[in-house]
Amino acid sequence: MPADPNMKIMVVDDMSTMRRIVKNILKQLGFANLDEAENGQEALAKLKADKFGFVVSDWNMPVMSGIELLRAIRADGDLKDIPVLMVTAEAQKENIVEAAQAGVSNYVVKPFTAETLQEKMNKIFK
Amino acid sequence: MSDEMEEIRNDFLVESQEMIELLDQRFIILETDPANAELLNEIFRAMHSMKGSAGFLGFTHLVDVTHRAESILNKLRQGDMTVTPQVITAILEAIDVVKLLMADIRESGTDAHVQTEAVSQKLDQVLAGKTGGAAAPTPAPPSTAAPTPAPAAAPTVAETVAKPIPPAEPAGDSAQASTKLGEILINEGAASKEQIIEALDRQEHRPPLGEILVQSQVISEQTLDAALQKQQVKGTRKGEEEQTIRVETRRLDSVMNLVGELVLGRNRMMKIGGGLDQSHENDPLVRELGETLAQLNLVTTDLQLAVMKTRMLPIRKVLSKFPRMVRDLSQKMGKQVRLELQGEETELDKSVADEIGDPLVHLVRNAIDHGLEPVADRQKAGKPIEGIVCISACQEGNSIVIRIEDDGRGLQVEKIKAKALANGVVSEAELAAMDPRQIMNLIFLPGFSTADQVTDVSGRGVGMDVVRTNIRRINGTVEVQSQLGKGSQITIKLPLTIAIIQALLVEVEQATFAIPLGSVVEAVKITRADIKTINGREVLNLRERVLPLLRLTDEFEIQPDVERDKFYVVVAGMGEKQVGVVVDRLRSQEEVVIKSMGDYLSNLKGIAGATITGEGKVVLILDIAELLQDIRMNHLAEVAA
Repeated sequence: MPADPNMKIMVVDDMSTMRRIVKNILKQLGFANLDEAENGQEALAKLKADKFGFVVSDWNMPVMSGIELLRAIRADGDLKDIPVLMVTAEAQKENIVEAAQAGVSNYVVKPFTAETLQEKMNKIFK
Repeated sequence: MSDEMEEIRNDFLVESQEMIELLDQRFIILETDPANAELLNEIFRAMHSMKGSAGFLGFTHLVDVTHRAESILNKLRQGDMTVTPQVITAILEAIDVVKLLMADIRESGTDAHVQTEAVSQKLDQVLAGKTGGAAAPTPAPPSTAAPTPAPAAAPTVAETVAKPIPPAEPAGDSAQASTKLGEILINEGAASKEQIIEALDRQEHRPPLGEILVQSQVISEQTLDAALQKQQVKGTRKGEEEQTIRVETRRLDSVMNLVGELVLGRNRMMKIGGGLDQSHENDPLVRELGETLAQLNLVTTDLQLAVMKTRMLPIRKVLSKFPRMVRDLSQKMGKQVRLELQGEETELDKSVADEIGDPLVHLVRNAIDHGLEPVADRQKAGKPIEGIVCISACQEGNSIVIRIEDDGRGLQVEKIKAKALANGVVSEAELAAMDPRQIMNLIFLPGFSTADQVTDVSGRGVGMDVVRTNIRRINGTVEVQSQLGKGSQITIKLPLTIAIIQALLVEVEQATFAIPLGSVVEAVKITRADIKTINGREVLNLRERVLPLLRLTDEFEIQPDVERDKFYVVVAGMGEKQVGVVVDRLRSQEEVVIKSMGDYLSNLKGIAGATITGEGKVVLILDIAELLQDIRMNHLAEVAA
């Protein structure tokens, strides 16, 4: 199923500049229906309250980290099918293995370009 | 660069600035609580986030430095490396370089002008576990222009442990030491001149081993007490929970300005309503108008308060830089200092907060440099080796009161007297009439400095008078109290807001003036016969005191139209200095909104601004501090003549 340009996308990061950067890249790719949260907990609450088609989440955040958010999404009957893209700083093997086991859809290493994100999304939304 | 990218860059700078402030504070706490995992995580995350965004924005130098610092922090939080003073020092140095990088980005849009090799190398050594100290080369100043000083010969461990660390040598001429980047930082307002000088001093005069040893001492003596720690941790927790949005100050200023206009309109409406009420008291419409006006009055007052509150910041914002500053200063001076902060939640207007930073830095430096005795003297006096500097803030009525206390040697009244006389600040007769408290406050007069020697910490020719001038600029007052051998206390009083003040309206001939109520002491009724002349100046003998008089007709060249016999004298003053303003009539007390005079008229002497009264008249607001200065000048000129 190709990515629906109108789907709602959740951007999760504890640094507002990063949220803005990621949203900016998503806009370049033609996605305009964007929401954001500054940690996993806030994201989870918003995900439950509305229908989201995609989550882009940072890894390291206070309150609730990205991996915890991923596990919570996969454990929730309503949310478990939402594709989740994790943003990591380094391609650390153990992190990626952990994320894969938790059911991550794909991962992308910071900093990334619009093209890289497009590629990753193409793989997720085949 | 697109607008969007530029906005993101600005966001990045603002957010990173906040993170850096947080990091500075957290590290000081970490030094005394190295096992705090939560704290380490928080520090790691801030560095990590900064690196992440910097990568997207293409700031490669910044990524380099933050990446290395982050790697060290990662090892620390995973327990692969222990928190030692040398590790902390290395990361603090990295943070200082990050500050310079930010300034470069702010100025030039890139981070390419700051050399980061030296700090990167040092961080790599720390990462590799080579933190021997003596072996590590002195970090090169990260700025472009300053040359790398030769590493100071490191004393051996045995020698240095045995004796207290001597204070660092005085720095060279600050003007020479300042580099292009430093100037940029000052111009940008990113750092004060003192901060830059201090940073440069630290770079050039730090013996790596010596510093490490002092730090070890700091930790073992637990210089920062646990209470301060808890207070700070608690403070930020609360901050994290706050739901906030970022608003440009410019927008708040314009809201404040509009509310000011509304207040003026309200005042005018109230006057008109009052007039109508008298002339048409039986008209039901007028009664309804009166009720509506009463409601409007209340809402306007509430609105005004609410807007004022949006501009309020906790003073923590200003005080957060002090733990680091005191830590660095006390190391440099070989003194042990414990900094206590109280009332960090106290809120003050942003414009006041922006202005008060520099005076506070100066006063705290003074307290450490001149106030606290050297360790040996403290021991001799039977005091604890560790000196205490306490900054406390609280709200008292319509003012914010900030106190800076130290438990040092206190002010020597006799020494101040001698200095004041020698420097011609006061005459012998004036001195004789003063009580000890008045004498102590002479230190705030221009041309006064109590230090025998100029030290590189506080004696840079910037005296306490500059502190007072800066505080007065925001309509504040400053006073000192002291007990010999016990310590000193400096009290700063600041207004809650600087845009709206209570004022006394007075009339002179056809003109009306407003005198800020904060500087009005009293008003007395006199006749022409009460006015005496001494040395060609008009004075009034008020309860055994000679009060210099100021006639607004002379000051502002107003033509008197009738000879008068009866006058009012408004006694106005700032601290110890007072003047009697001679006026024809006292009119009313009113809340006035200060409007600046605009560039064209901004240099008018003795005028602080203008306002519009309830009657719709434009009235000038007197600047009592400036008028006092004027009187003083004339007075000194006459004494000299």
